[in-house]
Amino acid sequence: MIELNRNYNLGQTARESVKIKIVGIGGAGSNALDRIVLDGIESAEIVAINTDVQSLTSSVATQKVQLGRSATRGLGAGGDPEVGLAAGEEAVEEIRQALEGAEMIFICVGLGGGTGSGSAPLIAGIAKEHGALTVVIATMPFAFEGKRRTAQAEEALVALQEAADAVICFENDKMGDAVSPHAGVHQAFAAADQTISQSVRAIYELFTRPGIISIGFDDLVTALRSKNARCLFGYGEAGGDNRSHESLELALKNPLMNRGRMLSETHNLLVNVVGGISMTLNEVQILMEELGRHVSDDTRILFGTAVDAKLGDHMCVTLISSVAAEGASNGKEQPAKVNYVRPAAKVQVSPVEKISKPKRPPEKIEADDEKPLLADDDVEEKTEVEVEPVVAVTKPAPIKPVQIKPMLPESSPPVVAKAQQERQESLPFEPLNRGRFEKSEPTIVNGQDLDVPTFMRRNIKLK
Amino acid sequence: MGRDNIIVGLEIGTSKICVVVGESKSDGSIKILGVGQTPSRGVRKGEIVDFETAGKCVREAIADAEEKSDVMIESVYVGITGSHISSFNNRGVVQLPEDQEEIGEEDCENVRTNAKEVSIPSQNFFLHTILQHYYVDGQDGVLNPMGMMGSKLEADFHIIHGIGTRVKNAIRCIKEIPLEVEDVVFNPLAAAQVVLTQNQKTQGALMIDIGGGTTDFILYVDGAVKQTGVLAVGGDHITNDISMGLRIPMAKAEKLKVEEGSVILGNCLPGETVTLKDESGFAGKEIERETLNTIIHMRMRESLELLKRELDRETYLDFIGAGIFITGGCSLLKGIDHLAGEIFGMPVHVAHAQSMSGLTSAFENPQLATAIGLIKYAQAVETDRPSGWFGKIKRKLPMIFGGQH
Repeated sequence: MIELNRNYNLGQTARESVKIKIVGIGGAGSNALDRIVLDGIESAEIVAINTDVQSLTSSVATQKVQLGRSATRGLGAGGDPEVGLAAGEEAVEEIRQALEGAEMIFICVGLGGGTGSGSAPLIAGIAKEHGALTVVIATMPFAFEGKRRTAQAEEALVALQEAADAVICFENDKMGDAVSPHAGVHQAFAAADQTISQSVRAIYELFTRPGIISIGFDDLVTALRSKNARCLFGYGEAGGDNRSHESLELALKNPLMNRGRMLSETHNLLVNVVGGISMTLNEVQILMEELGRHVSDDTRILFGTAVDAKLGDHMCVTLISSVAAEGASNGKEQPAKVNYVRPAAKVQVSPVEKISKPKRPPEKIEADDEKPLLADDDVEEKTEVEVEPVVAVTKPAPIKPVQIKPMLPESSPPVVAKAQQERQESLPFEPLNRGRFEKSEPTIVNGQDLDVPTFMRRNIKLK
Repeated sequence: MGRDNIIVGLEIGTSKICVVVGESKSDGSIKILGVGQTPSRGVRKGEIVDFETAGKCVREAIADAEEKSDVMIESVYVGITGSHISSFNNRGVVQLPEDQEEIGEEDCENVRTNAKEVSIPSQNFFLHTILQHYYVDGQDGVLNPMGMMGSKLEADFHIIHGIGTRVKNAIRCIKEIPLEVEDVVFNPLAAAQVVLTQNQKTQGALMIDIGGGTTDFILYVDGAVKQTGVLAVGGDHITNDISMGLRIPMAKAEKLKVEEGSVILGNCLPGETVTLKDESGFAGKEIERETLNTIIHMRMRESLELLKRELDRETYLDFIGAGIFITGGCSLLKGIDHLAGEIFGMPVHVAHAQSMSGLTSAFENPQLATAIGLIKYAQAVETDRPSGWFGKIKRKLPMIFGGQH
């Protein structure tokens, strides 16, 4: 007879400890580090990298690297990424030493300023060069900080996306929504730091915690894969009778989740459910069912679950996904677009849509950058329904050398090209109007907010 | 007063609150004595969002009904709906003790309790546990196992549950009036009592109640409830769509929907328009009929398709012999039966409450189907008659006033 090992112990299956370093770059980065240390994270080395000596000395990091000893002479980069980059180049050797030996590197950086925007892509490059998995957690500046800073941040973000394995990008503007208008400004920034800390910890635990259904790094990369992506991140932890519902609710309440409304637009969603020993299958089921209402039918859900005795009777949910940012649907990745067209002059209505999934082309086609979406006038004239997939998939082009590339030594391994087969639906990004249902609980079915008029969701032009 | 038994049905709807006062005759028929109605405020998608305002509206509707029926209302049956309500089918099993051969009343209760031993979200509670069929030692289709010999009793139930606090809110709102709440009934279950005949339920029928805030459905096969559900989209959404699409105020949009709206496309002349008269504060507007109909059509089509998708999760739709019955305020939309017929591919009837006496205008109005249905439901429960799927709901209800003599 086969005997099951009754002494099955969760601890036994723990993965070998991964050597992790958490790097904070610039002022915002070191603030985030402080928070991470405060929240406590085990077995990770903390590295602070900055141009500003004053900030560096007050940092709690165990390892510190000063950038641009001669370029900035211990002062900040003055909001100029050029200066930040120059300062970074000066210290390439030191950075390399600091990152030595890590298998996984988290880089926390606030984009928009000088040090962060300038040196982060360089440092991400060095991290990758070590062969470490590099996850960048970046914050975009507040809109009030000016267009110039936003532009600098965008530029740096693109460079980072090419240099790192995964980029999680938080928008400070959205973080601001999380705190009450009466809260002090320090609280707003603290909320931002806390979100970063949570996400670092969540991802860290994703990989280090023994899972019943494990989530791998590939899953994370898949979830975040979207051109010019904005990250959707949600983390919720709750206890009590109704913990599965509450933890999900909390995760969805995260400012970056927009109450789950954004979820309908994602294609890959990473969900990790961790609970204490008392977590039941039923609870997980209820949670996933509830979550299922927020996503569309063809969203790929990358599910992972784990039991961690440390959580006691708590349960926590991590949601990670990405959507294309506004203005990102630049012809490059054309959506599989279904046009719902009304018959122009027929007495009876023809079956407008057969909920047919637009066929994806079997092979990747050369992207046609200029190919426009079906023009609206064009649509109006057609009398029949078309389920015409206008799909253009970019070839997995080897990523062009990043700006910072030439600065790296010749020996650096080529940056692995990320498959960019992501398809995006063209979604109207202007906030959809819900009229009188503005303040009521949204009715979300298959990821669609049914309170928004149907003709708007389906882009039907009214005369 | 020579009245047998007064039963009052109260539906707190999204667009209107209606109170129907009925008299349950000893021969089982129902006579409608009066109907009280007020436009509803503070209710969205079938659920109360503004407690105080909704309470005020309920009070008005009750006063209206009292006046019209000349009856003092003391207790009501309340219909509820809302997106929080969900349902599933489950089977209960009871093994009879060795020394017992005959199935008794207690075993029937036990099998019901057993069927309820499923996990539903902790905040939810059971609204209805509706019997479908009994099985005795594997023999299926047993309607009444009482007194039968057997060792194992099984039964299929349709279980409807909803979030407890939301249901309690509706009850509290009524208790503050103050009125007694006799029972809470899931709307489509009540409406089906008067919209569908026993024959249609046996043949298999789907009833869709498209109301102001929600679309509720109930599906019968073999006389038993097989599927129920709520889609929190209703006539309100159409009005909102029109208001936003044509950029006109909600009140105008509502009027336009009721008076001119149709779900059929391509049925009007090119360039045919509807004129909205100018009033103080409104400049007047010419609206193209086709545009209006497109907005309504898109919304109704989507809702019905979502319903079909929901129903297609199970196979019961294939066993419908009598067809589809649409009721509720939105069933008055022109062409809705054609649209639904096209989507579901089966005969569709626009239906209202049947087989009543009294106010004809009341039961012929599909907007009142739920409130009237509540009376019928209450009658069936109170007389404790094993009528159809009700089986036996053991609930000793206090005799309603007026019935003491």
